[in-house]
Amino acid sequence: MMRTPSGHKVYAIAAEYGSATELYEAAKRVRDAGFKRWDVFSPFPIHGMDEAMGLGKSWLSAVVLIGGITGLLTAVLVEFGPSWGLYPVIVHGKPFNWQTVPAFFPIMFELTVLFAAFSAFFAWQIMNGLPRWHHPLFNWDRFSRVTNDGFFLAIEARDPRFSETETHDLLVVTGGMHITIVHEED
Amino acid sequence: MSERSQVMPAPEGEYFEPARFSGLSLLLAGGAVVGLILCLFGALKDQPQFSFSWLFAFIYFFTLCCGCLFWTIVHHATDAEWSVVVRRQLENIALLLFALFLFAMPILILRHHLFEWMNIPPGKDAVLDSKRQYLNWSFFVFRAFLYFILLGGVAFLLRRFSVAQDRDGNPRCTVWMRKIAFAGLPIFGLALSFAAFDWLMGLNFRWYSTMWGPYIFAGAAGSSMSLLVLVTTALRKAGYLRVVTLEHYHIMGKWMLAFSVFWAYIGFSQYMLYWYANIPEETQYFLVRNTESWWPLSMLLVIGRFFGPFAILLLQGIKKRPNQLCIVAGWILFMQALDMYIIVLPSLHGTGVHLSVWDFLLIGKTSTFPVRDPRLVESLRLRN
Repeated sequence: MMRTPSGHKVYAIAAEYGSATELYEAAKRVRDAGFKRWDVFSPFPIHGMDEAMGLGKSWLSAVVLIGGITGLLTAVLVEFGPSWGLYPVIVHGKPFNWQTVPAFFPIMFELTVLFAAFSAFFAWQIMNGLPRWHHPLFNWDRFSRVTNDGFFLAIEARDPRFSETETHDLLVVTGGMHITIVHEED
Repeated sequence: MSERSQVMPAPEGEYFEPARFSGLSLLLAGGAVVGLILCLFGALKDQPQFSFSWLFAFIYFFTLCCGCLFWTIVHHATDAEWSVVVRRQLENIALLLFALFLFAMPILILRHHLFEWMNIPPGKDAVLDSKRQYLNWSFFVFRAFLYFILLGGVAFLLRRFSVAQDRDGNPRCTVWMRKIAFAGLPIFGLALSFAAFDWLMGLNFRWYSTMWGPYIFAGAAGSSMSLLVLVTTALRKAGYLRVVTLEHYHIMGKWMLAFSVFWAYIGFSQYMLYWYANIPEETQYFLVRNTESWWPLSMLLVIGRFFGPFAILLLQGIKKRPNQLCIVAGWILFMQALDMYIIVLPSLHGTGVHLSVWDFLLIGKTSTFPVRDPRLVESLRLRN
């Protein structure tokens, strides 16, 4: 376990970049160096950054698809179950066999959307490690610029390729400024 | 707010060389002439059938052109970036509204076969008399001309400034096009809706639908995006539009998906309220189209225009493979034709499908134009 001189655990080595373009180029080099546990931070989305980081396709869409299908099947169950078998009631003179399906489409649609949206929201929270109260990067005072005009890259200490000196040198080569070691809370 | 970090050089302008494709143009022009001659025979042989077939073909291409105009307008109104490379194709197709103006003339000539209300003298039908303020011949003609002047005017101006900017790169043109686009938004919405009221809903003056404008618009926007995919791919196969990447295809595929859903949403909203309320003067539209031999076609439309494309286009991979996306795009265009067919033709054949050879001849004839026209693939300057 690496520790800072003051005895804190090391969370990451981070660097600041002058522009989105510099950050984009730096991300490509960090990706090519084979790092897995790292991230970039910018005030706004940067087109093509997922590719530059080598992220690949997110598995969020699969979760959403499963959520949507679950919602659709739920609606089918709670609508056709009672009206077809458990407790058939004639409403508006409409039949209660399968031909009454137009009346059920809105509910099927709504539950599909609802379940898909909920699964998207919660899966996205989990993927981002949220919710959490604090993040070690906020221990670095320069990092507060990230919501304004700062572009940052942080390579985490838990990455197997992490080394206090070589990772530092890599960030120097990619043009990072204010390179620093960010420590954990305890 | 976002930023593209990849610095791209502005590509050189490229120009479509008509000479390279003179054979194809000649072939299509020849097909058009043959089609026109056959149409003339059709007109002499069976005028009512010919009238409806002509209206069907006309409406089909009218919706495609209007859809392309819509995408051009939206491009400018939202200051979109992605569509710059394909915008010229949209502008070209939208400009074909002027050609369609000529093709609208037979409808005005053959009006008595198409629009029942024109044959009923005042005082005979109370429902019609209450609508005479709107449904009368002079106002009908005035509106028809107005639609073409307004829609064609917007299409013409947008293309004119766009081409002018190719020459001198004047950024003022972008501002002008944005202003025209904002003026064009209400013009487009009203003109397309009322054109749909006049030419399609007017086929049965007793029937009405408040969803009619959005319904026609939804089909037009989705199918014209499909047409754009086909035109873009054809030009790429011929060696042009190399600036169009798989990312552009991905976005066009997303729009096809979005408007498949939107079409279904609007279509079902119209259907379900009629189904629930069950009022005879409203349900007559679906009574004809959902019974006898029209029923399989209606079912094919529901499945083929929504469920099929929706399931297929959900996959990201399809949207990034131009060849597969083209198959879906062609299918959606076919479904749009079926949609218009189901709207127009049942007014003639109350019960039972009569597949008339004239219907398909007309498609063959008019389709030459959207294919032939994208001749000016000019500057594809990527702006900011």
